[in-house]
Amino acid sequence: MKKNGKFAGFYLGLMFFLMYLPIGVVVVFSFNESKLPVRFTGFSLQWYERLFGNSAMQEALVNSLILAVLSCLISAVIGTLGAVGLFRIHWKTKGVLEYISILPLMIPEIILGMVLMAFFYMLGLPFGMLTLLIGHTVFCVPYILMEVKARLAGMDPSLEEAARDLGAGSFRAFWDITLPLIMPAVLSGSLLAFAMSMDDVVISIFVNGPKLSTLPIKVYTQLKTGVTPEINALCTIMLGLILFILFLYVFFGKVKSRLFK
Amino acid sequence: MRRRRNGSVWMILPLYIFTLVFVAGPLLYMFALSLAMPNETHGVDWNFTLENYKRILDTVYLNTFAQSFKLAVTSTVIICMTGYPFGYYMARMSESRKKRAMLFLMLPFWVNSLIRLYGWIIILQNKGILNFILKKLGIIEKPLKLLYSYPAIVIGMVYVLLPFMVLSVYSSAEKLDWSLVEAARDLGASRTKAFWTVTFKLTIPGLLSGVILTFIPSMGLFFIADILGGNKIVLVGSLIQEQMTRGGNWPFAAALAVVLMALTTIMIILYRRITNVRELEGIG
Amino acid sequence: MKKVTAGIFCAALAMASMPVTAFADSDEMVLYTWEGMFPQEVLDGFQEETGIDLVYSNFDTDETMLEKLSMAKGGDYDVIIADDYILENVIKEGLAEKLDKERLTGWENINPLYQGQFYDPEDAYVVPYGAGIPLIVYDPEMVDIEITGYEDLWDPSLNGSIALTANYRVINGITNLTLGKSMNEEDIDSIKETGEKLLELAPNIRLIQDDNTQNALLSGEASVAFLYTSQVTAALAENPDLEVVYPKEGLGFGVMGMFIAGDAPNKDAAYAFVDYILRPEIAAQCFDYIGYYCTNKAADDSVNPALVVPDSVKSGEIVENVSQEAEEQYSKNWTEFRAACN
Repeated sequence: MKKNGKFAGFYLGLMFFLMYLPIGVVVVFSFNESKLPVRFTGFSLQWYERLFGNSAMQEALVNSLILAVLSCLISAVIGTLGAVGLFRIHWKTKGVLEYISILPLMIPEIILGMVLMAFFYMLGLPFGMLTLLIGHTVFCVPYILMEVKARLAGMDPSLEEAARDLGAGSFRAFWDITLPLIMPAVLSGSLLAFAMSMDDVVISIFVNGPKLSTLPIKVYTQLKTGVTPEINALCTIMLGLILFILFLYVFFGKVKSRLFK
Repeated sequence: MRRRRNGSVWMILPLYIFTLVFVAGPLLYMFALSLAMPNETHGVDWNFTLENYKRILDTVYLNTFAQSFKLAVTSTVIICMTGYPFGYYMARMSESRKKRAMLFLMLPFWVNSLIRLYGWIIILQNKGILNFILKKLGIIEKPLKLLYSYPAIVIGMVYVLLPFMVLSVYSSAEKLDWSLVEAARDLGASRTKAFWTVTFKLTIPGLLSGVILTFIPSMGLFFIADILGGNKIVLVGSLIQEQMTRGGNWPFAAALAVVLMALTTIMIILYRRITNVRELEGIG
Repeated sequence: MKKVTAGIFCAALAMASMPVTAFADSDEMVLYTWEGMFPQEVLDGFQEETGIDLVYSNFDTDETMLEKLSMAKGGDYDVIIADDYILENVIKEGLAEKLDKERLTGWENINPLYQGQFYDPEDAYVVPYGAGIPLIVYDPEMVDIEITGYEDLWDPSLNGSIALTANYRVINGITNLTLGKSMNEEDIDSIKETGEKLLELAPNIRLIQDDNTQNALLSGEASVAFLYTSQVTAALAENPDLEVVYPKEGLGFGVMGMFIAGDAPNKDAAYAFVDYILRPEIAAQCFDYIGYYCTNKAADDSVNPALVVPDSVKSGEIVENVSQEAEEQYSKNWTEFRAACN
């Protein structure tokens, strides 16, 4: 019963092909000699060299990674706890709260960035990693919150109730019962949040400090002279990075499962 | 029962505090901004006025809202039709394949969406891959003007937002109790009937939350229309961008954003009324 | 397990507050402009020569820069480069340093053509850094008519084949020039008339884009393009057969300017940097790299000859700031025009 027919296979294949077609093009053109994304004129690594030719870029890459990891972690904690809390608690204000928390997805980034900047100045926060972190958390939380909520929607609350009846506190019940069940949603939400944070330009430009830059800011502000295929190189590197992480994950996962047999 | 529920307050507090301070705070500031007046050199004068809202009533600006709405609805409908089977078939894969498919679905997020769109330019342009193939196959003689057109924008929108729909349909189809479908079949229902009466009904929550996840951002997205549409349709988002930058009129931009938020909210409320599935939905 | 989570959280907070103290280093300066405005060798050269640590910070639009600078009350940043029209606001708001020319040995190298502009009539604050003249570039093989001015863009034979840059003041401005008016026309009725003329251009538009507009021309997506100077340079480098037109109705003209922030944390370094860039050989390197017209007279001999100001520029007009009402009307013209292009 639970099996796909030929059509399903064809359909999925086609959709994945269409999803990856433009990405393939981006990867191919990151090795293009010409600055123009029109014809492939010859193989070259110059865009990678330029990307890593200056220390500012490397520093920006490190900043981006730190920022993405931290904002992803913080939003995972806030979003996951929040989603579970919203599931358990029946306050009257919870609908409003949830609505407000997803508002950042509704309005264009540029205005969100601007009001965040003005607001941080009003609070007197020091501009730098702290403001970037808060800014990124603002748009990362909704993704995790929604993913986890959707996963919780069909969950059987009796499991957790049972645990509590057996004397587990609210934290234990969450940690031992609920969290393992919603873990896939937490992970996929976090992956999304990480990618969104690594990717953000507009909000970052507004809330960063004078001496701190992220990689996307460096790459996307070449507006006066034209954005170069360095971005293609950057994306290829990010893809490579995630593939490498996944490879490690799968590899160590296998080793681990063998050890624990 | 009550005592126990209050035991969970600690879980929700971070979300409450963070949202109230760092989301509601700035948004209130934006609302205040929409009631102020632009300063001649830069920034704003804090004199109360409704002028910014009145200005939106001009047909030029109302049209941008109509355009944004039309594009958002068109894209969301197409995303539903293509994304539902995608998520549904994915959920029916074997366990190991499921995991792999999931990864492949998430990976594109790691390539900046702008860049993925540049990829589409290379595919769709005059001397691009698609025209090249069509020509080789003898279907066309002269290259088609595919780029900088409405269909190109819709392709871009669907492409960028589709994964959200797939994820959401997938997670509700994956939880589905397949024995129910089997029971329906045992009782003599045809395959199609079993699908519509059991499977589809039970996966509606996923579909609906997918609609919200795609509709909300699609109202404000404008860079796709800029890149693949050659800036030829004016969406609210690009109007806001322009007013924030060269226009130097922040209050007007803020007013546009407030109206955009309000419209999106009304659409979602109406949508929930019509479908009447608040309870079913993952997203409250 | 709880401890682990708490540990991660503490580490996160510690890292978040780290950069505030980590950069207490005294001899560094912050350069604030778009990315890609200087060749790496020039930046490295300055650091080697002076031992000053150069932080290259970036913004995307002039308005972001103005807002950040004004929130910092002219502090945080040392040297800034931005567009002409925003310089006027920066100076009006008192965010720029009145230059002490004694400390700028290369001051005399500046091409006087770019001085005395509306944003800084006394040349007290700004050192020009590159100039641009948006021009029409077309592919003669794909165009049947000879293009000599803006007026030709309205020719019906160009249906659906023009690529435009997206600065609405410039596009309104060239329409004004076509109608024999100033680019900075302030009269509302007259601007409305400009809007009507602009609407007639709509059927000819293939795309409107600010970044890498030349690509549309080079890929054959458009046969005529109205481009910024760096884009003209890039287009010609790729395809020398393209025809460049200095429109007969007159030229629009833009200058980018370098200034020192009014409350710059490291003014000495800022002066040293500005003076370093004013050296002819350094300036030539910079302009060759960014592809804008050279604003340093002493560098004219060593820079790419295509970047030396053509004589025609003397008749160029700069887009200036206009009244709020006029600005709003220009922006409305533009919105109507874009909507009509579809």
